[in-house]
Amino acid sequence: MQRAKSSPGAAPFQSAINWRKQTKRMVHLEHVNCILGGAQALKDVTLHVERGEFVFLTGPSGAGKTTLLRVLYGDLKPKSGAADVAGVDLMRLRGAQLPELRRKVAVVFQDFKVLPERTVFENIAIALEVRGVSSVSIDKRVRAVIRALDLEERSYARCGELSGGEQQRVAIARSMVVNPELILADEPTGNLDSDLSRHLIELFKQFNTYGTTIIMATHNREVLSWAPEARQVHLVRGVITEAPPSAAGWVLDTKPIIGGRA
Amino acid sequence: MSTTKLFLRGVADMRRFPLPQLCTLLTVCMVALLAGTGLLILHNVQSEVLRTQGQARFQIYWKVGADLTAVEAQWTDLKRAPGIAEVSTFTPRAALSELMRGLAPKNSGGGLAASNGANGTSGASVGEDFAWLEGENPLPATALVSFNIPPDEQPEPWMGRMYARLKGLEGVEQVTYNPTQLTLATGWIALVQKAAWPALGFFALVVGLVVGNTLKLMMLARRDEVEILSLVGARPWFIRAPLFANGVVQGLCGSVLSLFCLKFLQTWLRSVLDVPPLFLKVEFLPLWQSVALVLCTTCVAGLASLIAARK
Repeated sequence: MQRAKSSPGAAPFQSAINWRKQTKRMVHLEHVNCILGGAQALKDVTLHVERGEFVFLTGPSGAGKTTLLRVLYGDLKPKSGAADVAGVDLMRLRGAQLPELRRKVAVVFQDFKVLPERTVFENIAIALEVRGVSSVSIDKRVRAVIRALDLEERSYARCGELSGGEQQRVAIARSMVVNPELILADEPTGNLDSDLSRHLIELFKQFNTYGTTIIMATHNREVLSWAPEARQVHLVRGVITEAPPSAAGWVLDTKPIIGGRA
Repeated sequence: MSTTKLFLRGVADMRRFPLPQLCTLLTVCMVALLAGTGLLILHNVQSEVLRTQGQARFQIYWKVGADLTAVEAQWTDLKRAPGIAEVSTFTPRAALSELMRGLAPKNSGGGLAASNGANGTSGASVGEDFAWLEGENPLPATALVSFNIPPDEQPEPWMGRMYARLKGLEGVEQVTYNPTQLTLATGWIALVQKAAWPALGFFALVVGLVVGNTLKLMMLARRDEVEILSLVGARPWFIRAPLFANGVVQGLCGSVLSLFCLKFLQTWLRSVLDVPPLFLKVEFLPLWQSVALVLCTTCVAGLASLIAARK
């Protein structure tokens, strides 16, 4: 198990842990190995994340961050080891049990994964509809989260007409509206400019304050600086390293930036 | 969300992907039309065979000099018999007239007329030659009787029983029938019955493969939606139900559309083939076959969409 030390400013995160204290860990990986495309993408990975923690998963491109997140939301099955997420044993996970895991774990992607031909409201409501929530309750909860994410004016706009920042906020709203136990974010700021990225990190921090566990993959050092309280777990070539790397070991985010209205 | 709502959503979502939907609809329509054309040909060939050869025909000869009043009473009874298709009766006099007419040459160039002409007689005089038989007509009263074989009966035993019954009529001397003709007809019917199920199975397979693959292609357009639904914890049925509804609607609309096309084709063929020497009147599919075509296509399309929606 590798854990980075929390900074002195971690009080809000610590209080969140206390507020939502559980006996079981949110993520429990022990000596996990994973093969992807014939290559070993994760090597003997051991990672423990407590409920209410905010964890950055760092490392250069191709380090295995996305693979690790895919394992955590049940998209990839580890070859060996022990893996437990939100009380679900991933090694024994069957197809029929996958929805149960996905209802506890929300995922936010770099490419947003919203339905461009549907409205903001519909995109957010879909997460509640699959859970069989009544339409009255859906209306109430979706409006609340739309208001919280400052998307009210765009409620009935098609997502294809939104800016990148707005689309990412829709994706976050969709993940938050169901009050998940764990949010996995895979480079959520990768396609956004600096201001928007900072705004989104503030949003994640806010949700974390309410007790949601967050694991965010990033290879952008600037993002890390916006949440210094968060624990950092570093991956290099599928292996979790002991300590955060020096600046020399990093590959800065060089992907194109999409501007936004936010 | 209830299943009904999921189905309705699936139907409503069809408008989101108009081009893939249109292409799928046309594909289903064309496959169903192909199958419908096969059924149309099969149905018309069978109807033609049944009309011309599918009946049991008996030629009944009464004894020469039999009481004509009694014979005519039997003819009346025969015409009322169950399963009767056609009765042609000939009194001895009518039979002789038929014989005279059959022997008379149609024109002077005929062979018989030519040979008679060589003997100094004309074609018309041949008929007159038989006129002297009027008083001592050697021909018996006859009847040509056609029956529709009851569908629940085996043809040969039924014909044997009918033969015995006709032979047992009072005054009947001889009954003849042609079993070869019946064998040909029953053979064709058996062939059709044996071929119908494999043909229907083949059709279902083809529809399933074509519709399934087309729907799979259509789902490429919806793969993001399926992926997102899966990511937010949708159960398999929640994802599949709208796609199933989509497949069912495609199957229903495509097959109904194919029936309209088939009707158009049949109307065109009717006027084209109903000319000498064919005189084929192409009829449209009977109602049950039309309904079966629609139901079969719809069911197979629904099933194919379910299979295609599997991960």
